Amino acid sequence: MGDEMDAFEKRLNKNFHVEIIPPKQESENLEADLNLFASKLERVINSGFTASITDNAMGILAFQGHECIEELGLRIDPERVLIHLNTFHTIKNLDEILASCMRLGIRSILAVSGDGSTRLPKLCPADVECKNTLSVTSVELISYIRKRYPEFRIGVAFNPYEPEKHEFEKLDRKLSAGASFVITQPIIDKNPVIDRLLRDYSGLPVTIEAWMSKKLYLLSDVVGYPISEDAEYDPIATLEKLRGVYPQCGFYLSLLGFKTQYQLIEEMA
Amino acid sequence: MKIVVCIKQVPASNDAKIDPETKRIVREGSKAIVNPFDLYAIEEALAIKERTGGEIIALTMGPEKAKSALKEALSMGVDRAILLSDRAFGGSDTWATSYALAKAIETIGDVELILCGKQAIDGDTAQVGPGIAEKLNARQAANVWKVEKIEEHSVTVKRINERGWDLVRLKYPALLTVVKDINTPRIPKLRDALIAEKAEIPVWKPWDIGTDPDLIGLRNSPTQVVRTAPPAARNAVTLKIDCKPEEASDRFVKELLKRKLI
Repeated sequence: MGDEMDAFEKRLNKNFHVEIIPPKQESENLEADLNLFASKLERVINSGFTASITDNAMGILAFQGHECIEELGLRIDPERVLIHLNTFHTIKNLDEILASCMRLGIRSILAVSGDGSTRLPKLCPADVECKNTLSVTSVELISYIRKRYPEFRIGVAFNPYEPEKHEFEKLDRKLSAGASFVITQPIIDKNPVIDRLLRDYSGLPVTIEAWMSKKLYLLSDVVGYPISEDAEYDPIATLEKLRGVYPQCGFYLSLLGFKTQYQLIEEMA
Repeated sequence: MKIVVCIKQVPASNDAKIDPETKRIVREGSKAIVNPFDLYAIEEALAIKERTGGEIIALTMGPEKAKSALKEALSMGVDRAILLSDRAFGGSDTWATSYALAKAIETIGDVELILCGKQAIDGDTAQVGPGIAEKLNARQAANVWKVEKIEEHSVTVKRINERGWDLVRLKYPALLTVVKDINTPRIPKLRDALIAEKAEIPVWKPWDIGTDPDLIGLRNSPTQVVRTAPPAARNAVTLKIDCKPEEASDRFVKELLKRKLI
């Protein structure tokens, strides 16, 4: 596993991770939405990028990436698929997802606390065999996966907008629990906290999220201060700039426009 | 055991509009969901079936588009679904709706247990479940938060009351309305959703269930909505307290006192 992980992690540092959101549970045309999911996944994998498939992003109920792949019988390069997994599941569902990923050969998981909703269950400490905590965060989730499914390599989120000391302490807990790579929250410029992350954790593969929507104001909640709706923003130019600033990192592309931006990304790679 | 789950398609809570002329909720063009409390009733029916075996039938009354609510129930695992739909049912109040649903349950036949959510989030009356029980002469328990025991001739449940809860045993046929503490509704799997998508849902008309035409619809409903108004808008204010962390809680409390919120 060691050599294999090294190869994966080395590739992380040069790769684009393209976020793909599976069809929503409330889809009004499930078949069409599944076809769109399949075509995006195929395109990302054929480009040599990594497909990062979300797990009920923003608490909006969606089908799981693994079940879409299994149900549609999609041929994938499992090394190029990253499945997000959050704490809003029953333990039965969680185990089903991980078992399905094993069957598909997918070995990369992004473990996050996630966004809940009234419709989503939440893991309890007893579910993931934790005694000294009142709630399950990504740390307990990582420990559980590491213990029960040691085959997986686990990535974690890093938020440069949180209080710095707190965020680095949390990162240390995640790494101690068994995480082996990091994906950041989106940045739009050189960031001193990311600089520290790269400096102090030099062996750790870090993938930086680049904001690919022109609607920069949607980032307001992430950064913690209001961004004007009139703010002009060029995602492609920003990505190019960030690649120059952080040449050692991979880039996670959220809200990527497949019709308008994808070809530019392929050319850039 | 044969279980019927009565569900209702309602507008999403942030998307409800009221017709100023008819005073009725405008369903056309608004996003529709399964009444959230009904999801708990479906889940409880599935949990009971896992223990006892049997069949679960989801039942609703509404327009053609209410089939999507029934398909959601099918994707969660109910065995079959029936839609009551006809212009003659349109505008039925809770009394007429209870009557029509009860007639449908009689038509299904040999139903031992009927489950409903405690109320629908659009009308908020909590009357239809108990109304069905009355018309079927079935035992009923409202606001059930735990099904303790399922036996051959009875079900034992805990229901919420003003002081805590009662432990109640009901002989079949019995109707339970359930609260959200009772379980966590399952999320449908893709495979089940795809099967449900293709399911044929029978549509029953008033004559299929033997309803008296003088007891259904808006004209024959004993209650009429005279006036409806949306709730007053809340005056939400976002206040940024800019100060040192150690002073923040004091400042926050002062702001609440100033606004007479505490």
